[in-house]
Amino acid sequence: MEQLVAIAVFLGILFLFLGSGVWVGLSLMGVAYIGIEFIAGRAAGGGMINTIWGASSSWTLTALPLFVWMGEILFRTRLSEDMFKGLSPWMARLPGGLVHTNIVGCTVFAAVSGSSAATLTTVGRMSIPELRRRQYPEHMVIGTLAGAATLGLMIPPSLTLIVYGVSINESIRELFIAGVIPGLVLAGMFMAYVAIYSLVSPSYKPVEEPAMGFAEKFRNSAYLIPVVLLIFLVIGSMYYGITSATEAAAFGVLGALALAFLQGSLTVSSFSESLMGAVRTSAMITLILAGAAFLSLAMGYTGLPRALADLIATMELTRFELLMALLVFYIILGCFLDGISAVVLTMAIVEPMIREAGIDVIWFGIFVTVVIEMAQITPPIGFNLFVMQGLTNHQMNYIAKAALPMFAIMVLMVFVLIAFPELATWLPDTIRQ
Amino acid sequence: MGKSLRKFLDGLYLAGGVVAALCLIAIVCLIVLQIASRNIGFAFRGGPDYAGYAMAAASFLGFAYALNHGAHIRVSLLVAALGRYRFWGEVWCYGVGTAITSIFAWFACKFTYESYKFNDISSGLDATPLWIPQLSMSTGSIILALCFWDNLVTLLMTGSPNVRETSVAEQGED
Repeated sequence: MEQLVAIAVFLGILFLFLGSGVWVGLSLMGVAYIGIEFIAGRAAGGGMINTIWGASSSWTLTALPLFVWMGEILFRTRLSEDMFKGLSPWMARLPGGLVHTNIVGCTVFAAVSGSSAATLTTVGRMSIPELRRRQYPEHMVIGTLAGAATLGLMIPPSLTLIVYGVSINESIRELFIAGVIPGLVLAGMFMAYVAIYSLVSPSYKPVEEPAMGFAEKFRNSAYLIPVVLLIFLVIGSMYYGITSATEAAAFGVLGALALAFLQGSLTVSSFSESLMGAVRTSAMITLILAGAAFLSLAMGYTGLPRALADLIATMELTRFELLMALLVFYIILGCFLDGISAVVLTMAIVEPMIREAGIDVIWFGIFVTVVIEMAQITPPIGFNLFVMQGLTNHQMNYIAKAALPMFAIMVLMVFVLIAFPELATWLPDTIRQ
Repeated sequence: MGKSLRKFLDGLYLAGGVVAALCLIAIVCLIVLQIASRNIGFAFRGGPDYAGYAMAAASFLGFAYALNHGAHIRVSLLVAALGRYRFWGEVWCYGVGTAITSIFAWFACKFTYESYKFNDISSGLDATPLWIPQLSMSTGSIILALCFWDNLVTLLMTGSPNVRETSVAEQGED
């Protein structure tokens, strides 16, 4: 009973801090301090600094700022134009036409960037005006872009997967490799939707693209060579076991700098802007991680994770029921918290639960990532909705509605993942041998 | 007086950010050295540990700079919905933030001093006395707490904090 009261007070303060607008990382740190010092009645200071220092000075974590930096460098290059030029000739003949450049563009950029907002802005900057000019239905342009940009979280490098891997102490490299196939499958499902919609809808009448010979198409593809090389450098080196995620990130930064230099877009100001942008974003994420590490310690004192895992065990849920409960839980949480906060905040509780249920943690990382992707396009806090609003000046509701089919496809993807877990486990299994 | 203090504080946060940026560059260099030492075969011990210290420094020294640019994430739904009472909502947030960061700074300094006094040595190959890299934590946490005090006082005196709230779209990362 006493323990229940303690847990209720603990969670009450946590939601009070988070809900009232205290910075996420500091909320976690504050409630953890209160929990240990006042609820458990022990000195919190030593544990606080020990865990925060340990969580912050980690070799694995260094992959995070480097991948952020890499994205910031590429964001300031001509990559978005080049990708549109290189991809559009091949997409023009598909049913659904150039809307596919949104999806394929996001997939390609996701493979060199770890964030969905960066993916959205980079691809959208070029594709939105071009597609509008050719009179594609606006809601398709907006919806597919908002949805496909979330692939940035799934396809490696992925900040969400780094954060997940760091929180539960699993190999980032394996998580990255696990994300490849589900990411491609999801992209394929988005494309199938576009194709079907374009065939069914009577109002889908874009301007025809001028025919282009094969040789010219091929010449245009040359624009894609740098980014493809970069993808092979980063993902390929990890897949073939040449590097760890951190080392691949360092290669990625150097490769992105080389690409920017060759394009002539590497100036002193673009270099320092990208670097300072990386400092801000990575500081934002590491503050949350520091707070979450301390919160896990405090959670241990309250006995909450253990109690919840036991409770779930007594309910004798099947694995499927447990996953459905977690799906609903994360969708609701994702409406109010950004993806990274949602992952780190819950891992202390969810990790024992899934390990108990015998769920593969690498697979679960991909599962959580799909759900977090959905959260990116659900109001009121969907991050991609904000970014899209800034990019297009559409109302939030309009964007959310346009992206709704993408949301449905991601829900479908969750069930595909549950039905075919090999999608996420096969590739990492091959590199383990 | 007020103006030069303002300039000094903003400069301090920026300086933290710049040192953090140098640490990011240092991480890249350390990793490259690490790879080179493995492939060419010269001895370079403790590379991962040094990269970890640089990582910590990049985070702690960047905290205040990120705060000053409105980069730290918060759930601002309720505060924004408060309308004309928003001021009090912000006072609560900055008040809580100031309290937490001050506690953090206090313990970070105490802990670093204790590592110095008891001469804690890293258990890794680098064998660094731990108080040296931990200086980044104590320094960074002091700057962060200072930044919160600064914003709280500015908020109470002028009605709005010093943080430049960039729109979410401009933050651009998630």
